[in-house]
Amino acid sequence: MHTTTSSATRRVALAAAAAMLTIGLAGCGSTSSEEPTDAGSAGSSAPLTLQDGWVKAVDDVPSPTSTSMSSAMPSSSASGSAGMDGSMPMTAMFGTLHNDTGSDITVTAGSSPVAGMVQLHETVKTDSGSMQMQEKPGGFVVPAGGDYTLEPGGDHVMLMDLSAPLANGSQTSVTLTTSAGEVTVTVPVRTFTGAEESYAPAPSAS
Amino acid sequence: MSGSGAGGDGAAAPRRRTVLLSGLAGAGAGVAAGVGGALAAERPAPSPDTRLAAGRASARAFRGTHQAGILEAPPAQAAFVAFDLHEQADGDAVRRLLTVWTDDIERLMAGRGTLTDLEPELAAVPASLTVTVGVGPRVVELAGAERPDWLAPLPAFPEIDALEDAWGEGDLLLQICAESPTTVAHAQRRLTTSVADLASVRWVQRGFREPFEGPGIPMRNLLGQVDGTVQPDVTGLDADLLWVGADGPAWLRGGSSVVVRRIGMRLDAWDRADRAARENAIGRRLDTGAPVTGGTLDSAADLEATDELGFHVIDDAAHMRRAHATAPHERFLRRPYSYDDGVEGGGMRTGLVFVAFQADPARQFVPVQRRLAQADLLNLWTVPVGSAVFAVLPGAGSGEVLGQAMFA
Ligand code: HEM
Ligand SMILES: [Cu+2]
Repeated sequence: MHTTTSSATRRVALAAAAAMLTIGLAGCGSTSSEEPTDAGSAGSSAPLTLQDGWVKAVDDVPSPTSTSMSSAMPSSSASGSAGMDGSMPMTAMFGTLHNDTGSDITVTAGSSPVAGMVQLHETVKTDSGSMQMQEKPGGFVVPAGGDYTLEPGGDHVMLMDLSAPLANGSQTSVTLTTSAGEVTVTVPVRTFTGAEESYAPAPSAS
Repeated sequence: MSGSGAGGDGAAAPRRRTVLLSGLAGAGAGVAAGVGGALAAERPAPSPDTRLAAGRASARAFRGTHQAGILEAPPAQAAFVAFDLHEQADGDAVRRLLTVWTDDIERLMAGRGTLTDLEPELAAVPASLTVTVGVGPRVVELAGAERPDWLAPLPAFPEIDALEDAWGEGDLLLQICAESPTTVAHAQRRLTTSVADLASVRWVQRGFREPFEGPGIPMRNLLGQVDGTVQPDVTGLDADLLWVGADGPAWLRGGSSVVVRRIGMRLDAWDRADRAARENAIGRRLDTGAPVTGGTLDSAADLEATDELGFHVIDDAAHMRRAHATAPHERFLRRPYSYDDGVEGGGMRTGLVFVAFQADPARQFVPVQRRLAQADLLNLWTVPVGSAVFAVLPGAGSGEVLGQAMFA
């Protein structure tokens, strides 16, 4: 399954995500890494946590004729090219995975009560120069004691085949299957007008 | 006329101002040096590095019994933003909106971007940012909470009101204050877009104060008057005048109310008044802000003093006399901002975003406003064009969402 995205969108999103990594807690004048967020963290004892995690809100799951500005990540604008599947509701989870252990942790799969299918995606440049999302071979390797950034226009956890809308300001949960066991994170849902990539499954990928 | 409990007791004013200012000093090292008036003059101009450090170190605490943005000395820049909830909003929508704002505000006040922020650099210098959330009656009702009687439009003041719908009541209010206009603009934008699916902006009132404000440099409004001199001791004896207590709805304890009146100034008419007439209008001198009966800025006004002809030295219709509390409860915390939105065909685009915080506006604010409507020399030059009342939510404790007690 592939999703195309404009490279302009990607550049913007990448720059932002890079910046998010470097803003420390200005209040105490230190440049140490960010605190885990309350809602997005998987608990202090977990080997892998998600910091500043969030999922893009999806207003209308059953009806693709939404008037809302904030549609699911692959916007309904794709319906023309994607045929019946074009309105398939999906969204993505972003944030910073933090590995609190002394050895690398590989995220290999995911699941969520609200999604029929969860995939680990990367965003790559195609021969034609456009950006496409596709499953990341080998999953996400979070280095020992380090971070792994999931960001709009970059790597992300794709939630597909949603069974219900995800309302702005609500929460949802995602379970990641990792080499260190299963990690379930509760993440806030947020309206986001970026990441409006149109979705077009590549024939060769299905 | 004034007992020791009344706000016009000018003798107590210096202490009151100091209380407010020292509260500010605790929040940022950059400000602490300004508390001693003389110190400020001796200090060498700070290098850019210390300015940046001060801007970064100026983060104010978000969590606490009360919301931030009320007791602190007002920073130089502000935006007041009223929102209307969308038509189909229900209690759950209110709860979700306040969940998003709580998280956004906590991050922004700490100098971080919001979760979905693509420009977190714009948040990196908090510049004493405070964001204060108010709610209108519809929000309270959707949440299923008890609406205080006063959470309604103020009574009409037909003698003076020229209210425009554009500046009227809303479902929600954000008061965004910071020393940096960029910080204010960014916070306003993030907080607006993050709930764009739930509420839309009804009005925005931008305001400013004196960036060098502090001891020796008081706030001056755009009529040139020293403004904000006589205030209740809201961090001490008069705290009950500010915060809703046990007699209010349980969900609002530790909260307050805010009246936002947009008051235009007829500067063309003001330009035709000489200085004596101008000082007479308030009952205070323009240069020092001292009462026209003598003394310094913080001296008590002598409302009984008469001239050789037997007339009151402080005019019977002087703003200060008419606004002065006739009972101890007729007082509130004024936290106004000037606005100057340019010239437009002779209309009033200059004035004061008059902002008053109090536990109960019907009891504390309305009697004073009614007196001013009946007689106040200042009315020759000022015209209220907007009026709105909001309940100011209590502060959010650790792990709490703003306004969560409404849903209890
Ligand atoms: C554009 C409109 C207004 C201007 C320019 C203005 C200006 C002033 C000035 C210069 C003072 C004297 C210094 C001080 O104590 O702050 C003052 C005092 C005061 N004003 Fe106003 N004011 C305005 C509107 C209002 C309104 C709408 C209210 C309330 C309904 C109000 C209530 C008061 C009070 C309570 C005092 C203190 C009186 C005392 O000495 O006890 N003002 N105002
Ligand atoms: Cu994807």
